[in-house]
Amino acid sequence: MPRPARQGGGSRAGVAGRKLRLRAAVVLGKATGGMSRRLRLGGGTTLPGDVARWVDPGVLRAMAGSVRAGTVLVTGTNGKTSTAALLRTILAESGKVVGGNPSGSNLIFGLTAAALTLSDSQGRIDRDWLVLEVDELSAPQAVAEIRPQGLVVLNAFRDQLDRSFEVDQIAERLATATSTLPDGGFWVGNADDPRVAAMAGETTAAGTRRILFGLSAGGRDHLPAVSDASGCPRCRGEMEFRVVFYAHCGLYKCPHCGFQRPQPQVVASQVNLAGLDSVELTLSGSEDGSEGWSVPARVRLGGLFSAANVAAAAAAASAMGVSPHQIASGISAFEPAFGRFQVMPWKGVPIRLMLAKNPAGLEENLTAALELDRSPVIAIGLNDLIADGRDVSWIWDVEMERLRESRPVTLVVCGRRAHELALRLAYAGVPQDRVVVLQSARAALDAVAAMASPLIPVPALMTYTAMLEWHQLLGGGGGGGKGGRA
Amino acid sequence: MIPVQLRLGHLYPREMNLYGDRGNILALVRRAQRRGISLEVVEIGLGDSSTSLLSSCSGFFMGGGQDLDQGNVAEDLISRKGPGLVAAVSAGKPLLAVCAGFQLLGTHYLTAAGTRIPGLGLLPLHTEAGRRRLVGNLMVATDPALGLRDPILVGFENHSGRTILHQGLRPLGRVMHGGGNDGDSGQEGAWQGSVVATYLHGPLLPKNPSLSDWWLRTAAGGHPLENLDDSLEDAARKEAMALGARPTRMSRWRLLGRGLVVRKGS
Repeated sequence: MPRPARQGGGSRAGVAGRKLRLRAAVVLGKATGGMSRRLRLGGGTTLPGDVARWVDPGVLRAMAGSVRAGTVLVTGTNGKTSTAALLRTILAESGKVVGGNPSGSNLIFGLTAAALTLSDSQGRIDRDWLVLEVDELSAPQAVAEIRPQGLVVLNAFRDQLDRSFEVDQIAERLATATSTLPDGGFWVGNADDPRVAAMAGETTAAGTRRILFGLSAGGRDHLPAVSDASGCPRCRGEMEFRVVFYAHCGLYKCPHCGFQRPQPQVVASQVNLAGLDSVELTLSGSEDGSEGWSVPARVRLGGLFSAANVAAAAAAASAMGVSPHQIASGISAFEPAFGRFQVMPWKGVPIRLMLAKNPAGLEENLTAALELDRSPVIAIGLNDLIADGRDVSWIWDVEMERLRESRPVTLVVCGRRAHELALRLAYAGVPQDRVVVLQSARAALDAVAAMASPLIPVPALMTYTAMLEWHQLLGGGGGGGKGGRA
Repeated sequence: MIPVQLRLGHLYPREMNLYGDRGNILALVRRAQRRGISLEVVEIGLGDSSTSLLSSCSGFFMGGGQDLDQGNVAEDLISRKGPGLVAAVSAGKPLLAVCAGFQLLGTHYLTAAGTRIPGLGLLPLHTEAGRRRLVGNLMVATDPALGLRDPILVGFENHSGRTILHQGLRPLGRVMHGGGNDGDSGQEGAWQGSVVATYLHGPLLPKNPSLSDWWLRTAAGGHPLENLDDSLEDAARKEAMALGARPTRMSRWRLLGRGLVVRKGS
């Protein structure tokens, strides 16, 4: 379809024309959303964005520009949904009116659709803040269109390589987003991830406030068997890790060029992991020269990587002027986001949905489930649809070998590539009598329910569409929809 | 007598490990083990150059990597590993090279900017940067002359390079589904003597036990190996074939023309 010709110029007719076009885009987009929801074509999470952007390509910029204080984007490979949800809860607890894209629809069309649902018919969003999670590859475009107040960069892992191709390219996109932030905004980055930390020094614009977050905790003394980042982001030399918190994040130093983990301004310390149910920690902050602050907090998430997400949200909130006390109370008010440590029952047995869509995610969630939890059953679901990444090679990079020495668990494997997963487990030396292969989600849920205890939630580590399917069966409705990830 | 001790030279395990290539090493080790052969894995990285290290190996594997890694590796491969590796494969030792490893065996790689990165030149082929990436499930009917027990290989490809085989070099097989060497010629991979190269990346060996056995048999000097129970492997193979890599009608005709019978959904 040909796009209606653009009106240019700053004449009054031009301004009126632009306003008219924006209104048309908003109204048509909203109507599409209503229709697609009524016809149950899905959650209406991307199509309205397509329609509105076709009518007016500037619709997202205009809508985001009407938010009172501004927009904050949260990006990175893992932890976007939880961190953005944490930040929204903190802001809401501090009395701000906040909007976002909690459905997790995080490509540019999804962001537009989310903004449409929040806007009035004039394209105005009556909110103090907008907190949006953004796909790593879409981050530069989102920054260019939205001109956000802040950008939070969590990490850069290998993820769904048939879509994102190579880790270096992901890091490159994140660096582009970082370097194009508008003046006067803030940038929050992970000091523990060498690739992200390297962006802090080199690529943030001069007028941008830089805040690094990080952990102060114990961890492993070695990188996972297959790591994305043993090479220094500056000189490509082999780096040394003193402590590894999760994936390739930790305390590192390059013996060749001297690049090392910078001192973060916001730190999560005294981290106490209480099963998969919660993490207790102390958050402290100090900005160059100013008086430091420190507050205890507790969050309903599990694992060390969750502590990092909390620190990221706290760093952003602090940059937005929220007091430490309000940050802590916001964190404790937080409810797990869609499919991220969310517990739902199946035939009387609680199931804990844990999204695990790449090597780092599966590795860390599996470690947490084995070390912090007592469930005798763990479910793992592997699908190969576009939203999961069609290439399932990555499961061979996950150290399933740890299951040989871990406490004994029965593994229920399911999904379109259940047999590939079963083969991976067999090659890891996991005894065959501890593996149950059931492609169908319903059959797998029944098997899990028959074997599990009604008192301990069963960790269910799922790729994206496998998680959606379980979420639906568990009565959670359609939930999100990452439409258009191809 | 089948040797009870074999050594696998894993070339550039740190740099060339992008897509679960570890699965290939696991598959070789495990299949050797199940036959009472111990397969020792020797990691051969950047800088290692001792000829005795290379000549002590019974065969080699090289996986796929990122572009940045490939530059480092190409230089090292030519200057430090070249002679030893050429000698080993001339003596009939197997070399399996995957994706970027496949490209590195050719004479050169021509980047989009027109820069010529020299390769090892072990196989008469070269690669040119392509505009569109070939990404997706890939299914290959291998050259019957290679003698795989199960001639069909299944896996995934993800590459932007277009590889052109020079006169006389045989492709590993015909594409049944997917892009292959250039997305156009219907050729996939290459093989010559004891060298096999392919765009089937990542963990191709666990799901394709007949190729694992080709490597092991060749490394063991051609001794036939006993058959194993491959029910788990076959289940994963069938799943991959049925869900992702159904042969297109066109290629099914092509295969019928070559006298290879393709059963539906298997």
